[in-house]
Amino acid sequence: MWHITKREIYDNLNSLRFALTTVLLLALMVTNAVKHLREHPKRVQRYQDAVTESSDRLTAHADGSLYKLAQYGPGNFYKKPSPLHFCANGGESILPDTITVREPPVFATDAENNVILQGVWSLSYPDANLQNKNVGPNVSQVDWAFIIGYILSLIALWFTFDAFSGEREQGTLRLMLANSIPRHTVLIGKFLGALFSISIPFALAVLVNLLLISTANTVHLTAEAWGRLGIIFCLALLYTSLFVALGLLVSARVQQSAVSLMILLLTWVTFVVFMPSTLASIASSFSPATSFDEFWKQRNPVKEDLWDKYDEWLWSSKLDDKTLRGKSEFYTENAERDERWHEERSKYRSSQVYRARAITGISPATLLQHLIEGFAGTGFERHLQFVENTQRYARQLREFVADTDRADPESLHILGVREGTSKKPISPESVPRFEDTLNLSRDFNTAAMELLLLTLFVLVLLSGAYLAFVRVEV
Amino acid sequence: MLKTLIGRELLDNLMTFRFAAVALITLLLVVVNTVVLTQDYEQRLESYNDSVKRNHQDLRNSKTYSTAYLSVDRAPNPLSIFNIGLDKRLGNYIGIYHGFMPTLWDAQMHGTDNPFIAFFSSIDIVFVFEVILSLMGLIFAYDAIAGERERGTLRLVLAQPIGRGQILLAKYISAMVCLLVPLILSLLFALLLLTRSIPLSTADFLRIAGIVLTSFAYLSLFYLIGLLISVATPRTGTALMLAMFVWGFLILVYPNLIRVTVNPGGDIQARVKTAHNQIQQIIDEYERERQKFLENEGIAGEMSEFSKALGFYHQADVNPVTLTTYIENMSVLSEIRPDFEKYVPVAKRYYNFVLPLATRTVEKAWRVRKQALDEIYVRQARMDRILLKLSPIGIYDDATQAWAGTDLLGLRDFFNAAQRYRKIIIDYLYAKDAFSSREWFVADKGGVDWSTLPQFTFERSDVRTNAKRALPDMFLLLICNLVLFMAIVLIFIKSEV
Repeated sequence: MWHITKREIYDNLNSLRFALTTVLLLALMVTNAVKHLREHPKRVQRYQDAVTESSDRLTAHADGSLYKLAQYGPGNFYKKPSPLHFCANGGESILPDTITVREPPVFATDAENNVILQGVWSLSYPDANLQNKNVGPNVSQVDWAFIIGYILSLIALWFTFDAFSGEREQGTLRLMLANSIPRHTVLIGKFLGALFSISIPFALAVLVNLLLISTANTVHLTAEAWGRLGIIFCLALLYTSLFVALGLLVSARVQQSAVSLMILLLTWVTFVVFMPSTLASIASSFSPATSFDEFWKQRNPVKEDLWDKYDEWLWSSKLDDKTLRGKSEFYTENAERDERWHEERSKYRSSQVYRARAITGISPATLLQHLIEGFAGTGFERHLQFVENTQRYARQLREFVADTDRADPESLHILGVREGTSKKPISPESVPRFEDTLNLSRDFNTAAMELLLLTLFVLVLLSGAYLAFVRVEV
Repeated sequence: MLKTLIGRELLDNLMTFRFAAVALITLLLVVVNTVVLTQDYEQRLESYNDSVKRNHQDLRNSKTYSTAYLSVDRAPNPLSIFNIGLDKRLGNYIGIYHGFMPTLWDAQMHGTDNPFIAFFSSIDIVFVFEVILSLMGLIFAYDAIAGERERGTLRLVLAQPIGRGQILLAKYISAMVCLLVPLILSLLFALLLLTRSIPLSTADFLRIAGIVLTSFAYLSLFYLIGLLISVATPRTGTALMLAMFVWGFLILVYPNLIRVTVNPGGDIQARVKTAHNQIQQIIDEYERERQKFLENEGIAGEMSEFSKALGFYHQADVNPVTLTTYIENMSVLSEIRPDFEKYVPVAKRYYNFVLPLATRTVEKAWRVRKQALDEIYVRQARMDRILLKLSPIGIYDDATQAWAGTDLLGLRDFFNAAQRYRKIIIDYLYAKDAFSSREWFVADKGGVDWSTLPQFTFERSDVRTNAKRALPDMFLLLICNLVLFMAIVLIFIKSEV
């Protein structure tokens, strides 16, 4: 078997396609690295500036008093750019990278424009970035996901379309099978040979790419990032082996190598190029989106209810416990409802996206795209994680405010109202800070299903190739 | 002789497996995508109709001129099914009022779509053709000469008294006839499906004919590229390999590589900043004149009282990022308290002075903004498009977009119409003396009568304009075809058999 593998690799190493592949992959990977090195520092700088500003705002709020912190909350939240952005762009231009903290709403003012009723902060989830001023041609980015998903799979077909049909045409297949080698050994030998021959230029290109990126002092890759890169490389190999198996399958069944290549190309075009977009369109038409107005209508009566419910306390200027408590409840409930409404809307939308993703999962190219995005820390999954992190932090901050207030014996413990909150100064350092983190084990969990599916595809195709080759007449 | 050759080639091509496979795949992809795209179009149309209805309702509900929020909607283009272009990407409704210039850059989306779904790339029939037709052309061409050379039949043919150019011509004509079959067939099916639910005008059919013509030139170009490879390489295996490499490079790699050349540099921010300062100055000037007027009228000191009396709301602002400039002058008041009646004549004079001024100011600001945005967004996009034209896919895409009217010029037609409409509305308001009327700010003497308001209509540009816009690119495709054909003839004549 190793003999066959070795022979295959030697055969391929001297061929035109090997040279072309190496040049193409190297060119793409270098382009990718150069682009990343040019853009990533700017991205990080932008993020850091935004975070500093946001942190300053939190400090300013905390500097005042606990009441101000409880009322104005933290600064805006920003999504941390992934250091592995070059692996998968993940629709960065569409997905929002900010969750804004809404200013406390002013419910009522008196004749002199003095605020008499003012609520508390709440989170607002921004829409996808539709203020897209891009009027240029619709092209995608050259990231790893593109290079692996499109180019490497095409190369895999390119290397295997004549694996059996070519040898059959030359008559060498008969010769080989005349020896006492079982057919499955020949198949596995061919499979490994093709996989290795593709891996060599790919690994070379990846190495050059990573060398360029890691030696630049503007980009830092942590140990975890290297681990993720390793996973992505393995994914690439798994994905390539899927197309190698497909190539072997078709090549074993078809007499002429030209016909074999044609069938493979048409299959490839259908599954890799067309399937993702067509299926996504179908999926999105299954789930018509609810309009902004409908959501608004669902929410508005609720708001009216709140005004009625707290009517007796809102307009009184008394400072007794009951009035303050009434006002406080009105504020918190308002903020909570605002947030819940936004959250429901965003949940509804993500469920639609999930459905679309599930349907497009039939195409291995989409599976790979999702997997790479998942491990590179970009894309939709990452967006959801960012939202989750923000929500967790918001809870944490609210708890911190409540706890600090509880520690002050002089306070009335009525949050959201100036008179009811602790007046002791707090140190800004003690306030918890937001940190946008990624969790590798979580990424694994979300990717598990897709990973299994991809493996299943490979196994099915491999056994298909085996069956086809065993039963074929030479 | 030529006829015999064409006949032979035709039969040769038609009876092959590749013909059947290619025809089937094309048909399948086009039909499936047409169904999906038609559905998508209908959804967009529905959301457009809803929005139009809602806007009418909103307008009728507003009782004063100043609080009327008039907006126009952009209907989806039925030909976006062929080439979606910018039709779905840019906003589809925009407000119309005196203190704001309706432009491409400020248009909003109807809120009914889930923007996260846009995450998945969209598809159109031209995209299917871009990928499939090019593949078809190459698959049919790679062994045209190399195959015959390998089998030895080329020698045989050349032994006949027939020119080499004629052989190439015969091959070209017969292959093109064969390739046209799946193209026309799938388009017919698509049209059949389309016309069932979307009414198309004669002009639309002419535009579609233009798209077909362009597709034909594009297909021919790829056939010729394949033929060139076939003529230049000795063996079919090598020819096939090279053809596939060229295909992958032109269709997949190159279009995505041009993004690298894009340089979203720091000078963009500088440009935005200078434009922002310029516009800010224009607004400041407006503000000075406004203050001067208020002082002359003697109400500058009583501004808070004045505001309270009229529920007065004034804002003039320019966005530091998008440079959106707007000036709002309105009153949110249903009735005027009797003791504030004394302000009504002043208010009338104020609005009569400030509204024309605001109109002029935003128009002046727009001239500055237009130049800046053109330099920032449009120039970059144009450069990208030119770069993309080094691959036939770029030329084809541009030409079909121009035919479908979903290119930047086609979209601009709409926003130009919106700007004209704004002018009409302002003229209408002048004619009705609305700026100096009581109905501008208060509706206690009965609301505004909206029945005579001019309606917004927008017709897509006529076919001739589409043709004029598509012509340069089609010409380019033609030239490429001719040059390639000549190159092939030259190489073939010089080559040894």
